[in-house]
Amino acid sequence: MPPLLSVRNVAKRYGAVQALTDASLEVDVGETLALIGANGSGKSTLSKIINGVVAPDGGQLLLDGRAVRFESPHAAKDVGISTVFQELSLVPQMTVAENIWLTREPLQRSGLIDRRTERRRTEELLSLFAGTLRADLTPDTPVAALLPDERQIVEILKAISVNPRLLILDEATASLDSRQVQRLFELVGRWKAQGTAIIFISHRMTEIEQIADRYSVLRNGQTVGEGSMKDATASDLVTLMAPETVGGAFERRRLSPDDLATRQVVLQIDDLRTSVLRGVSLQVRKGELLGIGGLKGQGQRDLLLALFGGTSYSGRILLDGKLVHFTHPRQAMNHGVALVPGDRAGEGLLSIRSILENLLVPSWRAYGFPVRMKRARQHADAITVRLDLKMAGLDAPVSSLSGGNAQKVVIGKWLLRNPRVLLLDDPTKGVDIATKAEFYRLLTRLCDDGTTVILYSSDDEELIGLSDRVLVMHDGRIGSELTGALLTAANLVAASLGVVSGETL
Amino acid sequence: MKPSPWQQATYRHPYLFALLLLVVAFTANVLLQPNLLEPTTLNSNMRVFLPLILVAIGQAIVMIGGGIDISVGSIVSVVNAILATQIGLSGDLSAAGIMMGVALLVGMGAGALNGLFVAYLRLQPIITTFATSFIYAGLALFILPNPGGGVPSRLTAFYRETIILWLPLAFYIIALILLVWAGVRRTRYGRYLYAIGGKADAAYETGVPVRAVQFSTYVISGLMAALGGIAMTLLTGSGNAQVGDPLTLSSITAAVIGGTPLSGGAGGIAGPIIGSVTLGLIRNIISFANVATWWQTFVNAAIIVLALAMPGMINLLRRRNR
Repeated sequence: MPPLLSVRNVAKRYGAVQALTDASLEVDVGETLALIGANGSGKSTLSKIINGVVAPDGGQLLLDGRAVRFESPHAAKDVGISTVFQELSLVPQMTVAENIWLTREPLQRSGLIDRRTERRRTEELLSLFAGTLRADLTPDTPVAALLPDERQIVEILKAISVNPRLLILDEATASLDSRQVQRLFELVGRWKAQGTAIIFISHRMTEIEQIADRYSVLRNGQTVGEGSMKDATASDLVTLMAPETVGGAFERRRLSPDDLATRQVVLQIDDLRTSVLRGVSLQVRKGELLGIGGLKGQGQRDLLLALFGGTSYSGRILLDGKLVHFTHPRQAMNHGVALVPGDRAGEGLLSIRSILENLLVPSWRAYGFPVRMKRARQHADAITVRLDLKMAGLDAPVSSLSGGNAQKVVIGKWLLRNPRVLLLDDPTKGVDIATKAEFYRLLTRLCDDGTTVILYSSDDEELIGLSDRVLVMHDGRIGSELTGALLTAANLVAASLGVVSGETL
Repeated sequence: MKPSPWQQATYRHPYLFALLLLVVAFTANVLLQPNLLEPTTLNSNMRVFLPLILVAIGQAIVMIGGGIDISVGSIVSVVNAILATQIGLSGDLSAAGIMMGVALLVGMGAGALNGLFVAYLRLQPIITTFATSFIYAGLALFILPNPGGGVPSRLTAFYRETIILWLPLAFYIIALILLVWAGVRRTRYGRYLYAIGGKADAAYETGVPVRAVQFSTYVISGLMAALGGIAMTLLTGSGNAQVGDPLTLSSITAAVIGGTPLSGGAGGIAGPIIGSVTLGLIRNIISFANVATWWQTFVNAAIIVLALAMPGMINLLRRRNR
């Protein structure tokens, strides 16, 4: 008997990035497979290949031992592969019942929708989570009125309503509370007993240990290990996941804890809470480079946005010892706080305008009206020298620059305002190694000049190479702090997954 | 965040705001014209409102699906031009019937062209239908360069004077459309319509034929505009290649105050019907008030801006108060 699904030597490349080089896995009926790996190891690419969202460049998918190829998510759904997506596939304006049964509405003989049956079946599905949902959540509640956890549950119910042969749970527990997670696990047990195969992707090691029968570990796009959960400990898995550090591109010397302690505290945060953050406290000192790590979506972006006045929050933020509460980015800018967004095309640059204009966007006011163009140009020139920007001239469009140089412009426009605190949101995503190195030199120089930098990065190597300290975020909290000799790749991976063992930490 | 009772109520009954406006406009109108509810007065009002009602229903369906149709007014003009020139004041009834059928096909064809551009070539709906509106307006002028022509008086009399059981003809037409709509709401097509307007990506991922449904909304809008054109021709009894022009903005206004958001995915057709009647009553009030007619356009525009700005203003106030 061949296994229900086996994936063999699958590869996938996105542009210059090789997301998967050689990934394989097998999952059989009545079995839960945990697919695990660090950031960027290719987990979501692999799951997207299995559910037909992405087509592989090479390798094979065998369903019941026969080779298959999915042209679309539908094709996969038709053979019984159903996915709970992270990006939700619900229509907010429609009700719970309408969303769950969309395109599969029960019909009467007349061809009209049988709303009574639809309602009854929806109630049956909702009753699976009875007790963990608000009592007034009915099939007729519009999805727009639901909380994030309730939407996630509706999404799960929608995926299970097709009675799938293979259910992929891609970070499906991320927004659920512990009671809901327990209920989901009971249900997973029941579905397993009915013969459903389950692929479970999660960043919580405790959950993986609780429900997975087998594991498959991805590292740098390659399957590096698989086996039965019974024979593996959490630390074994962490060792498998941790990437080998290459090093080399980094030249920053870490500030010693003693040196740091003598410096003035620039930014202090007490019990910061937003819709995502659940009480974050930290201190950053002058000239320090503080790294923020952890798996994606643990609140890192919210932390930076809250500091920049981009999202509402409760808690205290002290800048140079003075209480501040920014409700708009402009206020943050006026206090010397700058945010460099990760999505530079969408949020950081006006791509069809000139380099000069892009550099001056945040600072036009300083040059009065009418604009003192000559002075503005001099200042912009000075910045491009400082950044070592390779360009045809200040009047060339930003779109003519290479990715790394464009990223420098995003930072440069804030340097014109002499920020005291620079917030970086995954700034080197999709940037080649040479430009990265140049970017690291720039950051090093800025810190030496006394700028305080908070760097969120999804690249663990970068965090280890650049940061004086790394705070690892987990579920909207700071899970652990890594400094000095403890700041290693293995510890970073372990902390990201919430594995805390006395020996390593 | 829990929705307020008003939000919940308007979700279930998107026409509530229009109903409120209607009550106000109606009260003011009754004060100015006490015999408003007598069958003949009611009829003389409803027969004037019907063309806009029909066009606004089509507009609302496009808007629910996430689009907009700026060409409806021009389609009305084309239909009016065809009927006025091809039937003629002394034409016989069977020819009239055939030409009306042709007019409906022309309307659907025009809608299909819009749908082709928007749904399959993925062009921006406002710009596309604005551009095609000039094609259709040009076509109307080509068919009927100068106002003139007409339809037999027997036909106009039927449209203008038919009152069955104290209720004007327009009521029965509206009732019929509402009945059909109630059926459509209970089909998969009805669900798809709201799904693509609400979140097209999610609908696509779930397996809804997004493009085909989008395309169909423009065909329906073209059909409704053609019906509106027939009603308009029977009302005026004559031809004028610009007769439909004011209907475009009015139909959008009626749909918006009738609870159809420009972002799509919500609303219905009861709202636009009530909205159209409200606009008609406001027009009456303005004409009773004996002020310049440009006030009509002003009020029309003011209402649409107000209706669009309302949700934003409410949000702004909430943020202030937080």
